[in-house]
Amino acid sequence: MRQPARIGSLRRFGSRRERTRPHLWLALVLGLAGFLVVVAIFSARTERHNAEPRRARLISLIQNRRGTVDELDGEVRGLRRRVDQAQASSSRLDANQRQQAQQTSDLSALAGTKALAGPGLVVQLSDSIRQPATPQEAGAFRIHDADIQLVVNDLFAAGAEAVSVNGNRLVATSAIRAAGATIVVNFRPLNTPYEVHAIGARLEDFNKSEIAKRFGRWEDLYGLGFKVGRRSKVEVPAFTGRVDVGVATPGGTS
Amino acid sequence: MIPLISLVIGAVVAILLHPTVPQNLTPYVAIAVVVAIDSAFGGFRSYLERTFNDRVFVLAFVTNAALAVFLVWVGDQLGVSDFSTAIVVVFGIRIFQNLAAIRRRVFGG
Repeated sequence: MRQPARIGSLRRFGSRRERTRPHLWLALVLGLAGFLVVVAIFSARTERHNAEPRRARLISLIQNRRGTVDELDGEVRGLRRRVDQAQASSSRLDANQRQQAQQTSDLSALAGTKALAGPGLVVQLSDSIRQPATPQEAGAFRIHDADIQLVVNDLFAAGAEAVSVNGNRLVATSAIRAAGATIVVNFRPLNTPYEVHAIGARLEDFNKSEIAKRFGRWEDLYGLGFKVGRRSKVEVPAFTGRVDVGVATPGGTS
Repeated sequence: MIPLISLVIGAVVAILLHPTVPQNLTPYVAIAVVVAIDSAFGGFRSYLERTFNDRVFVLAFVTNAALAVFLVWVGDQLGVSDFSTAIVVVFGIRIFQNLAAIRRRVFGG
């Protein structure tokens, strides 16, 4: 109770001049307050405005670049095909050159720069459509890079000669890895469902593999998508990345 | 009456000038706004309780704003952005306490 009495007395005994000056201050401070509130509202709004187009721009940029990469991939395939055709159709080849062209063709099939087709298996993997009970379990309901690695390894073990994952041919320098939550093959980000094409793989051998058995269990437990199909004609596209070896040189102890 | 008019004038000036705040200063403005709202409620409360004093009001506004901004700055320097949260919480509680006091004054309950 002491303070109100003191302030009351101050007010009572204060001269007229002393009371008008704080009024000015009060007006100033309140004016500042109103100014601040409006400025804060404006700045928050402009910040939101700025953030939204940036995200949209990034998304369109990513889609743009992916489109460019796809176009360039197609171009690489087309140009390689033309090189092959030119080498094969050249009528002025002597026996030596013809042999060399044949050798190049065989090597490019092995190296992965040539689209191949033949009987084999198509393995489809997809994330679960079920909702995990807890966030900690979420990992079990998704396909990981290691899953695809194991499937690819066992396809090779089952006799595969050429393998591609979602149209990305696996070659000697290929990597199947994860970048955050995305699986990346040959530096191309992939989305579920994942389709592994394997020319030459035998169904019985693959079904006997550890990963096939495990996926059979995970299908029931977690609802992961897992389908293996035998096809009379499986297509594996050509590898479109860089194939030359730049840093490494032949040597070392063998 | 004059204070209310000046409040409106301040808002109108801001709308007309449309100043832009640099992004790194936005948290300070936000904190200053919370302090201003708290001061406004506190002032109205003391007015209803007949203990309002211009000088105390202005001093409280300036010191509160200065300390709040300083704390946010210190938090920024230390890399602890939670300081601003602490200030918002404290002033938020005060705003509601003042509102409760005003309600009790006005409706007598």
